[in-house]
Amino acid sequence: MATASVYSSPGFDFSNQIRNNFLAEKGLPLPKATSTGTTIVGCLFEGGIILGADTRATEGPIVADKNCEKIHYITESIRCCGAGTAADTEFVTNLISSNMEMHALTHGRKPRVVTAMTMLKQYLFRYQGHVGAALVLGGVDSTGPNLFTIHPHGSTDKLPYVTMGSGSLAAMAVFESGWKTKMSREDALQLVKDAIAAGIFNDLGSGSNIDACIITPNHTEMLRNVEMPNERETKEKSYKFRRGTTEWKSESIRKLIVSEEITPIGGDAMDTS
Amino acid sequence: MANTGGGAYSYSLTVFSPSGKLVQIEHALAAVSQGTTSLGIKASNGIVIATEKKTSSILIDDLMLEKVAVVCPNIGIVYSGMGPDFRVLITRARKSAQAYWKMYGEYPPTRILTQEIANVMQQATQSGGVRPYGVSLLVAGWDGTRGQQLFQVDPSGSFWAWKASAIGKNMVNAKTFLEKRYNDDISLEDAIHTALLTLKEGFEGQMTEKTIEIGIISVPSTAEREEPTSAATGRPKATFRKLTEEEIKDYLAL
Amino acid sequence: MSIMQYNGGSVIAMVGKDCVAIASDLRLGNQALGISSNFQKIFSVTDRIYLGLPGLATDVTTLRELFRYRVNMYTIKEEREIQPETFAHLVSSTLYEHRFGPYFIEPVMAGLSKTPSGSFKPFIAATDLIGCLNFAKDFVVAGTASEKLYGVAEGLWESDLEPEDLFETISQTMLNAVDRDAYSGWGVVVHVITKDKVVTRTLKGRMD
Repeated sequence: MATASVYSSPGFDFSNQIRNNFLAEKGLPLPKATSTGTTIVGCLFEGGIILGADTRATEGPIVADKNCEKIHYITESIRCCGAGTAADTEFVTNLISSNMEMHALTHGRKPRVVTAMTMLKQYLFRYQGHVGAALVLGGVDSTGPNLFTIHPHGSTDKLPYVTMGSGSLAAMAVFESGWKTKMSREDALQLVKDAIAAGIFNDLGSGSNIDACIITPNHTEMLRNVEMPNERETKEKSYKFRRGTTEWKSESIRKLIVSEEITPIGGDAMDTS
Repeated sequence: MANTGGGAYSYSLTVFSPSGKLVQIEHALAAVSQGTTSLGIKASNGIVIATEKKTSSILIDDLMLEKVAVVCPNIGIVYSGMGPDFRVLITRARKSAQAYWKMYGEYPPTRILTQEIANVMQQATQSGGVRPYGVSLLVAGWDGTRGQQLFQVDPSGSFWAWKASAIGKNMVNAKTFLEKRYNDDISLEDAIHTALLTLKEGFEGQMTEKTIEIGIISVPSTAEREEPTSAATGRPKATFRKLTEEEIKDYLAL
Repeated sequence: MSIMQYNGGSVIAMVGKDCVAIASDLRLGNQALGISSNFQKIFSVTDRIYLGLPGLATDVTTLRELFRYRVNMYTIKEEREIQPETFAHLVSSTLYEHRFGPYFIEPVMAGLSKTPSGSFKPFIAATDLIGCLNFAKDFVVAGTASEKLYGVAEGLWESDLEPEDLFETISQTMLNAVDRDAYSGWGVVVHVITKDKVVTRTLKGRMD
C-alpha cells in the first residue's frame, strides 16, 4: 500500500553517491563534517548516575561551536552523551529518543536503559561504524542505575565509571585515581567536573564549559554550564564602526509592513442598502 | 448472491452502488454506532474528551483496556467502534507524529495529525483486499498557531472540526444534550462536568472511575508559551494528559 | 583541494538588537578562474527568513530549489508561514537524509521568529554539510573564508548592535575576511532584517 504520509522518511538517500564517488576518484575527497573531539564521562554514585561533557565542537583544527550541548535527551530519566561525528550523535540520539517515546506509549510503562542501549547498538552495528557515534548512555529505571558505553561499531560495555572521546584518557586518569564505590552525590559531581576539566585543559579536541546531568530515581537535574572556566573577558573597548564607514553601491528595501491608503473616487457614498 | 442490506454492492469495496453509495462505509458507520459512547467538548481554555469503558463480562481485567490514548504531548484521541482497528490507527498516528517531530523538531499541529489519520482511513476505502476501519475518532489537540481544536474522523476518512461532538451508541441523544448545554465561553472545568453529565445519559450500569476514561487539553498561558520547552529537558511541555482514576473519582463525587 | 573550495564563496550571519544580518560574497569561480561577480548565494525563504548556501555551486541551485519546494509544500499544507526554528530543523533533516552522499553545502540561516506575545526574536543558525545544527547566540560563518571570518567576527562582534551598526560590523567583517581569501570576494551583498523591513545593500569590494 502506498504510504499515506509524506513525513515518514524511508531512511537515507544515496542519490548523490555516484557523483561524490566520482569526485573522490578525481582527487576531491569528502570534506570533513563537524565532529566533537570531546570529553564525555559517566559515573555511578550512591543513588544514581552523573553524566558529564565538555562543550566544544570542532571542524578539523577549527572550533566550530564554543558552547554546544553534548548531553542528549533520551527519556526523562535516561540521557546520552555523544562523541564523534556531531550530526550522527545528534540524529542517532534523536531517533532513539523518538523510538523510546513510542515504546513508552505502546507499553504503558517507563522504558529501561538496556532498551535504549540495545536499540543504539543494533542501529550502529547495522551501519558498520559509518554512523560515527561514540556514546555514554546512562539512566535510572526499574532495575536501578545503569551506565553503558557504546562504540561506533555497536559494541557496548557496562561499567561503574566510563569515559569516551579524545579526552577520555585524561578523564579516565582522574576517575582511576579518584573513584570510589558508593560515593555521595557531591563527591561524584566534583569527580565528574574534575574529569571533564582534565579533558578541557589537556585535550585539544575538548574545551570551553562543563555540562553535567544528575539522574536519580525520581529526579533528573540537567546542569548546563555548571562550570565555565574559560569565559571570555568582556572587551575593554567597543569596536563599533562609525556609521557610514562601509561604502555601498546599491540599496533595496523590502517593506514588510503593508500600508494601505484609501482614495475615494467619486462623491457618492457607497450604496449599502 | 447476497441478500443483505447492500445487495450485490456489499462486498466489493471499490464499487459504488447505483445510488452513489459505498455501502461498506455505511456498514462501518453501523459498527461505530454499536460501540460505546465517546464525546468531546471544546472549552475556552481547553478540551475534554471522555468515553464509556465497558467490558462484556465482569471477569475481564480492565487493566489493559485503554480508549483514550496519547498520540504526542499535545494531542490525544478517543474512539468509538472496534478496539483492534483503533489500536492500529493509534500506532500509525504516533508514528506519524514522531516522523513529523524528526523532520521539524516540533510535534504536529492538530489538523495536520488529524489529516494524516484521515488519509490512512481514506486509503482503506479504495484499496484492494482491505475493509474500512470500524472506528470514529475524536482528536483533541493544542498548537501554537490554531490553539485548541477538536476533530472528528469517520471511517470514510472525512473529518470536521467541532465545538462539541459525540460518537458511538448514544451519539444522537448525547449530541442533543450537548447542543442544549454548550456555550462558547464554557470553561474546562465546566466542560468536564458537562461531559460527565452527557455520558451519564443512557449510561448502562454504574458510572465509576473504572468505567469511564477522560483526557484533557489544558491551554498554556501566554507566559507559559514564551517558554514552550521545559528548561530541564528541552522538550515541549505536554498540553494533553489523561486524568488519573483518583481525579475522575473526585469529579464524579462533585 | 576540497570540493568545498571548487567554486568558492562565503556567508556570515550576525545577531543584533531586535535584528539580524546575513552577508555573502558574490563570486562564482571555477577553481582559480573567476566566472561571475553576481552569483547570489543568499535566498529569502519567507519575508523574515534568509538562507545562505555557500559551497558547490551546483548544489546551491539544487538545494535552493529543494528548500523552495519543501517550504512551499509546508505553507500550503499547514496554512501558515514556517518559523525560523522549524525551517532550521527542516534544513538539518534534509541534509542528514543525504548523510551517505551529502550535498556540498554548509547552510547559514538568519531570521526573526515570532514569539507568542507577537514580538520578534532574532534567530541565526548554521549546519555542517550533513546537517549538524549550530544555534549560536552571536554569529555563524561558513564557506571558503570561514577561518578568516571566525577571526574577524570574534574581534568585531558585540551584543545589542542597532540595525545600522550591525550593518557596518557585518560589512567590515565580510569585506576584510574575503580580502584574505582568494576564493571569495568580487563584491559583497548584505541583508539586514528588522521587524518591519529588510534592507539589502551591495557593497563596494575589491575586484581582484
